Amino acid sequence: MTGTLLFQSLVLGVLLGGLYALLAAGLTLYFGVMRVVMIAHSAFLILAAYLAWYFHEQTGIDPLLSLVVTVPLFFAVGVGMQRLLITRLRPVTLTMMSVLLTFAVALFIEGMIGFVWSGTQRRIQLPYSGDSIEFFGAQIAVVKLVAFGLAALSLGLLYLLLKHSRFGQALRATIQHREAAQLVGIRTDRVAGYGFGIGLATAAIGGTALSLDATIYPSLHWHWIGPLMAIIVVGGLGSIPGAALAAMVLGIGQSLLQVPLGTTWAQTIFYVALFATLMLRPQGFFGGRLAQRF
Amino acid sequence: MALVVGVALVLSFPTIAPNPYILSAGIVVLSYACTATAWNFMGGFTGYVSLGHAAFFGLGAYGTGLLIRDVGLPSFAAWLLAGALVLLITIPVGIAALRVRGASFVIVSISFVLILLLVFQGWGSFTGGSDGLVVPRPFPDMLRPQHHETFFYLFAALLTVMLVVWWLIDRSRFGTGLKAVREDEDKAQALGVPTRNYKLVAYVVSATFTGLAGGMYALWFGDLDPIFQFSIMLGAYMVLMALLGGVRHLFGPLLGAFIVGTGLEYFKLEFGDTQFHLVAAALLLGAVVLFMPDGIIPAVTGLVRRFGPQESSIREVTAAELLERNGGTSPVPQPGATAGSDGSRTTSEAAPPDPNDEEDPR
Amino acid sequence: MTTTAPPAARSLETVGLTKSFGGVHAVRDATVTFQPGKINALIGPNGSGKTTFFNCVTGMIKPDAGSVTFHGEDITRRPPHRIARAGIGRSFQLCRVFPRMTVLENMLVAVSRSRFRELLKGAHNPEEIDKARALLVRVGIDHLENTEARNLSYGQQKLLELAGVLMGDPDTIMLDEPAGGVNPALIGRIGTLVQELNAEGRTFLVVEHNMDMVMSLSHHVIVFDRGRPIAEGTPDVVQSDPRVLEAYLGV
Repeated sequence: MTGTLLFQSLVLGVLLGGLYALLAAGLTLYFGVMRVVMIAHSAFLILAAYLAWYFHEQTGIDPLLSLVVTVPLFFAVGVGMQRLLITRLRPVTLTMMSVLLTFAVALFIEGMIGFVWSGTQRRIQLPYSGDSIEFFGAQIAVVKLVAFGLAALSLGLLYLLLKHSRFGQALRATIQHREAAQLVGIRTDRVAGYGFGIGLATAAIGGTALSLDATIYPSLHWHWIGPLMAIIVVGGLGSIPGAALAAMVLGIGQSLLQVPLGTTWAQTIFYVALFATLMLRPQGFFGGRLAQRF
Repeated sequence: MALVVGVALVLSFPTIAPNPYILSAGIVVLSYACTATAWNFMGGFTGYVSLGHAAFFGLGAYGTGLLIRDVGLPSFAAWLLAGALVLLITIPVGIAALRVRGASFVIVSISFVLILLLVFQGWGSFTGGSDGLVVPRPFPDMLRPQHHETFFYLFAALLTVMLVVWWLIDRSRFGTGLKAVREDEDKAQALGVPTRNYKLVAYVVSATFTGLAGGMYALWFGDLDPIFQFSIMLGAYMVLMALLGGVRHLFGPLLGAFIVGTGLEYFKLEFGDTQFHLVAAALLLGAVVLFMPDGIIPAVTGLVRRFGPQESSIREVTAAELLERNGGTSPVPQPGATAGSDGSRTTSEAAPPDPNDEEDPR
Repeated sequence: MTTTAPPAARSLETVGLTKSFGGVHAVRDATVTFQPGKINALIGPNGSGKTTFFNCVTGMIKPDAGSVTFHGEDITRRPPHRIARAGIGRSFQLCRVFPRMTVLENMLVAVSRSRFRELLKGAHNPEEIDKARALLVRVGIDHLENTEARNLSYGQQKLLELAGVLMGDPDTIMLDEPAGGVNPALIGRIGTLVQELNAEGRTFLVVEHNMDMVMSLSHHVIVFDRGRPIAEGTPDVVQSDPRVLEAYLGV
């Protein structure tokens, strides 16, 4: 492996890791507020990508602008999903049954995408699709940079929201100790609903970013959910910084391994990390009390 | 009685099936019943939902095929050995999956299918990759209808073994321990149940039977493709079938497999390879989870009992009896209730608060 | 059913037990010795760490530091089922039974031996069932043996929980708020049961808020405040201890 190639993989890994980080933050957020493993997260990701593609196809406007519609829409869907579906489940079996419910939602989305837009592979062609810039000898596609910028910006906003707003405080309190949060007057149901909405909003942003650069098809979400689930376990279930950091490390790892092993085998790094984490440190590397109990 | 009729129907199916296509659809439904029943060793007893049982199905199928092709073992020896291999593989996977409760079990179970799909697709020289793997037939001189008939009975025999084992566990103290894990794991542990080992044993048994069903499928169908054997959908169908029928009942998964399996075969026949079956499966799964998480069997028996004579009165009798026995220590104070010698009883009893509807204290 | 070990060998004690969640010390350096063969009570204001202490002893929570000794054996950080089999039975704060199992099945969960062959024997092992039925008679819910536990009233569930604990033949029984959420008549019944079982030689450790019950029932009271014991003695002594008043009233 030459130095340039190595550096190029490293940069690509960082760019990929940024997208993983945003999506994993959303996935771990659902778990934090509701103890739900949201299998449909990546299906919504692909749905957002399809919406961006369709928006571009119909209007010819830059797909990034579809965010104006998809982000509020997904937020509302997330709140609705938590309110109308998740809360209907019995608390005792919530974790297991919510997995099945969100799995059903994922299948439904996959089926409907195939039904509406057919199973054909889709890809957005933009004026700047082929452009790339040179960065210390590495060739970086502009679309990847845009996608990363979008992910990094959103993650930054999410961080500010959680760290410096009253809502963020309430959300973190709900994640850490639901009953205690209730005792101090936080309306945890409402907070959990908004948490769900924010989670889905990350899928909307991630999907738009993904659509710039990827060929999409209905069953693509299965390629995303596995790595994302592995990331949140490695990072510690419910820990957003843990998810972001694990996403970065594993994204870079995957990108570096792609050179000697090829794309298929490089993907296995997520699963190897998942099993290793569970064997060595089952609560994940940043997980606290919460992750241990679930 | 119903059991006898059911068994007779199943056994006579190959003779009454009008054509080989229907017979092969029957075999598919039976293989579904095998996988759903095997799944239920884990899902039904312990309440741990594995969405990735297709991994064990695929391992059993490929194990059987590869042992015949590369080692030259006789078909059924390969089948048994593949089952044993699945058993051995499941132990470390189970230990990892069961290190933490619930959520990580689900994550590991799905991940395991996804990783095996990657490996079996990527390792073409060994597994045949996406080109598939042809498994030699165990009975080369049989004609097709005869072949189908034989495998129909083989699947039925495998299913019978599973049902008997499930029934035995259900009656054993081991089974009581597993059910306690399903109901309240902390509590079970506090009563001295080694919950992790129990879960691991249930998981291994469940996986091994799933692997055997996969191996049997390989011998029957003769052509394996990672996309189909390590399909997340196959695992989802197992869950759907078991849940639909009722996971706490011996014949629940069988009933669910009959309904879902027949439905799937019908969809395949009517609509071909559209995305319809995904949407249909999604809607059915969602509906079962939301409205009928206990499945058809309890729903139906509940309905029957509601219109039966005795059920409605059980609670008030017992509460009043308790009142008599313990001299007024009934925890629900009832001003109207008297423990007099005339045995007068309250006509209605307020339902006691169900502590299980409250927020999970964990 | 009664144990014949000499009282001295049955002591349960903790040394320097510590557990914190985040920055909060729930239990701090708690050194407690329970009196064998007696009814010990653990009292203290809300949030004084009683339940966390309880959970550390029974292994549901792993303590950060310190040790728990039972029968002279170190049981710190053992998994809960090992501790249960060593002879410590416990109830839960909000009474917990197995809702979708019948009363009789609930009774048969407790495992005192772990021989695998034993487990594969049918659940209809007559010896165990007779024992379960006898205990159900004792707590007064034997007529409900085929009812699913979720259909019992809260008080009946409490009785079932206690009976289920007794199936494991524990010589030390830890009860977390046995009087919580039940009516006075049933409190009396539970109190009588505890006294009877104690008379048979079982040590009790009761966490309780109901002071009447504590003072009438227990032989030895340990007062917790801010994660550690601040006073102990007979109910009379503890009641007049100024430190206890201070902890409770904040004076």
